[in-house]
Amino acid sequence: MLANVNATRMELLQLRRRVALASRGHRLLSEKRDEISRNLIQIARRIHPLRKRVEQELLRTCRRFMLARASMEPEDVKAALAVPTKKFNLAVTFANIMNVKVPQLAKQMEGEIICYGFANTSGEMDVALMALERALDTLVELAEKEKQARLLAVELQMTRRRVNVLEHVVIPEIRETIKFIYDKLGEAERDNISRLMKIADIIRA
Amino acid sequence: MAEPAKKQVVDFYRYPSIGGDDWRYAFAVARVRALETQMVTRSTLLDMANAAGYEQAVELLSSSEYGLGKGAMGFDELENLLRARRSAVRQLFAELMIDERIVELFRSRTDFANMRLVLRRVLTGKPLGDDYSDEGNVSPEQLAEVFEGENYHLLGDYLSEAVEQTVLNYYQDKDIRRIDYTLDAAQAGHNLARAAELGSVFLLGLFGIQIDLNNVRTMLRLKFTDSQQRNVFLKGGFVEIDRFRRGLDMGSDAVAGLFFATPYFEVVQAGASFLVSDKSFLKIEQQCDDYLNGYLRSTVQITAGPQPIIAYLLLKEDEIRKVRLILTAKRSHLDAKLILDRLG
Repeated sequence: MLANVNATRMELLQLRRRVALASRGHRLLSEKRDEISRNLIQIARRIHPLRKRVEQELLRTCRRFMLARASMEPEDVKAALAVPTKKFNLAVTFANIMNVKVPQLAKQMEGEIICYGFANTSGEMDVALMALERALDTLVELAEKEKQARLLAVELQMTRRRVNVLEHVVIPEIRETIKFIYDKLGEAERDNISRLMKIADIIRA
Repeated sequence: MAEPAKKQVVDFYRYPSIGGDDWRYAFAVARVRALETQMVTRSTLLDMANAAGYEQAVELLSSSEYGLGKGAMGFDELENLLRARRSAVRQLFAELMIDERIVELFRSRTDFANMRLVLRRVLTGKPLGDDYSDEGNVSPEQLAEVFEGENYHLLGDYLSEAVEQTVLNYYQDKDIRRIDYTLDAAQAGHNLARAAELGSVFLLGLFGIQIDLNNVRTMLRLKFTDSQQRNVFLKGGFVEIDRFRRGLDMGSDAVAGLFFATPYFEVVQAGASFLVSDKSFLKIEQQCDDYLNGYLRSTVQITAGPQPIIAYLLLKEDEIRKVRLILTAKRSHLDAKLILDRLG
């Protein structure tokens, strides 16, 4: 950068304006980074117990379902679950956290989850399906939080990079250039003065 | 004029009568008695349930007819093997049973299972598919032909009536469960009618018990799911339907008292208390299986007759289900307590 710079007062003024702008941008981005980090930590703290709960609920559901499936005739399992009646819709809206669009999920369910008769099916299947229905609430909440966390993490990484570039590259380089131009201008000023003094000496002699 | 309601009376203490001897079955029963000695014993099943892992559970079956290899076996492979065993047992049953009508009656279970699947698909506009069981009286090809042309009369009397009734009931409110309810009722009615036609005391008792046990389970399941449905109980059992309906309005703790005068008191008591404490149907299902198996085992008193052969078929099917249950549970690393709760 130093090789291409024009050591003029105009350039110096421009660079001074740029460094002020970069410093302001750095401060704002740092604040954004801190706020995103705070939000991310809050979400991450809620994700851990949620994930644990979802995993436990799904594990319990799978166990029940396996027991039900194993104790029924294969034809009856197939017939019972061939046409599910429960309809599941997911409405996605977006919220703004520090200029990051994060999804907010709302589920809508219709119909009965138990979609079969009682004579050839196991009661454990009722228990498994009802547990799965309950687990869906937590599952949707977990999906929402995990997606939010992922988007915020990407934004945090990007903001951190920008802050680092401003802090360690852009601002120091501009400052170095300003110093260089300042030195150059000082040097030119001193040259000029010494030249004028020399001329004055010649005239006097 | 409406037919007066027939008063049902439970005229037995533990199990209904199993009927008398039929000496045409002397050879068949002797063969079944020999085969019964090769069945997996209860102690083996319990050892399998308590085994450290899947491999150990499989090893315990090595001396039985299942003879699973030592290598890891996938769910599909295991399922195919157990299905093959079930088909072999059904085949043997058909060979040993002299009265073809009894074979047809037991094959109709598969017909009704196929019918549940095909009607669900047809009535909801799904493709017909070709994954139907071929162990029924109606072959999958015949089934496809009937439903593609909507020629239900080709299915035979009992199935065509059941299908027509099911279609009518489904279109009342387009509730898919009505398909099952109607077919379940039709199956129960067909079983009882055919048993009466055959004059088999044993089959009448067997189907009566099956209906009662189904109703007991249905009652507890309706209570558990807080369902408002009250017309899903099957008719034709030994216990009147009003008793089950009354059971729906009672607390789970008190419901067993309602069945004090019936042979199912212990079944309901154990099942309901386990449901309250563990929120699980494992105990009621185990109790129902044990009760039914007790009736089937009482055929040991018969020297010759169709009863021991029917009992062998049903006990063998139950054994296959139990083997599947234990191996599936072991493969999925389920707690031994869960398996034992189901096995009893």
